[in-house]
Amino acid sequence: MTPEEQRFLLVGAGLFVLGIIGFLTRRNLILMVLSAELMLHGISLTMVTFGRMHQTQEGQAFTIFTLTVAACEAGLALSLVLALYRKSHSLDIQLWSELRESDLAGPTADIASETEKPVDAYENIPKLTPAGIVPKDPPRTSASSGATSSGRV
Amino acid sequence: MMDWFQSNPMTLVGLVLWAVGILWLMPAKHGGKPRSRILGLVLTAAGLVSFCLACGNPHSELANEVMFWVFGIGALLCGVLMITARNPVYAALWFALTTLATCGLFLLQSAPFLAAATIIVYAGAVIVTFLFVIMLAQQSGAAGYDQRSGQSVLATVAAFVFLGAIAMTLQTEKLDIEVRAVPVVAAVAEPAPAVGGMPGMPGIAVDLPIGAPATPPEPGNLLSVADADHPVGNLKGLGRSLFGDYLFAVELAGTLLLVACIGAIAIAPRREQGGL
Repeated sequence: MTPEEQRFLLVGAGLFVLGIIGFLTRRNLILMVLSAELMLHGISLTMVTFGRMHQTQEGQAFTIFTLTVAACEAGLALSLVLALYRKSHSLDIQLWSELRESDLAGPTADIASETEKPVDAYENIPKLTPAGIVPKDPPRTSASSGATSSGRV
Repeated sequence: MMDWFQSNPMTLVGLVLWAVGILWLMPAKHGGKPRSRILGLVLTAAGLVSFCLACGNPHSELANEVMFWVFGIGALLCGVLMITARNPVYAALWFALTTLATCGLFLLQSAPFLAAATIIVYAGAVIVTFLFVIMLAQQSGAAGYDQRSGQSVLATVAAFVFLGAIAMTLQTEKLDIEVRAVPVVAAVAEPAPAVGGMPGMPGIAVDLPIGAPATPPEPGNLLSVADADHPVGNLKGLGRSLFGDYLFAVELAGTLLLVACIGAIAIAPRREQGGL
């Protein structure tokens, strides 16, 4: 193993470990699936490096299969996430902690904190106005009363 | 183990700084005031640079070195920013950057077809699907569960002990890979009977003396071995491996895609049942 291959293996291991941390710590369902994809990236890099070390095409051939499985996994996981979201109207994984084994401890953070108002950290992001029925009678103000009366009838 | 600590202090310092940076960047609430991200970013970057300096290759060319630095540190830094992002949309975009940097590393490892396929599949399909789901499911802005992380200290320490163990194994063990080099020159010089090779496939003939007892041919996928005509990463060689040795697996992967497609359509909620 040359140092050239060793450092690619180290970067692959680093990507895998980052995926582990994200999967274990984050509470958003979508972010957990994304972290699993990050782990797959690390595995792919390691397998490509192994294939080059052994001078065979098998590493890259197997990575293509990993790519296929990753695509299947993303599709299935996202439809599962949507189904779970329809039931709980939240992406929080801890709302599903009822599914754990009965002798395990519950979630560490309190679920009651979910009911508090979400932090509005993204106020500056533009939001679309909700679509709906066009109001029939726009409220008249004194400045625009002449324009609206002339446009009507 | 102590030898490794003493001989690779840069790796150890890099791992510790990196872990502290991740812990600092993790979303957490302390008195309602979020921590500044600049310090965490500086810590993480310092740890990454130290970690990658420790595994530098003094014998490689400058261009190769620069590309490894850009892509390797880029992949790891974007990964850190992805798992610590407070907004899932930003996390998906950082993941796209990680994918691009990983494809750069694939290119350095002589896998151009794999890099292109990964960009097409991930950046073209997976990220877009994730963004659609985020837009469908999280319309109300920042959610409370994105501002906290569960058991971040325990997870980070355990994961970095794992990474340290891998680094120690890689840097102390001198693995001797026995490359199955196909002796094209030797086969030409001494025409041996093709015992294990397939007929009509030059270059995979097993080198056997005439009078020696016939040893069983070397097991393995003979069509996947790289040779002079098909170096590693060559598209022709990759196709020969996929549709020669792994033909059944290719059919199986196609079936898996079909099953996953049907399953996703069956699982995904319909709009008539309440919509989203």
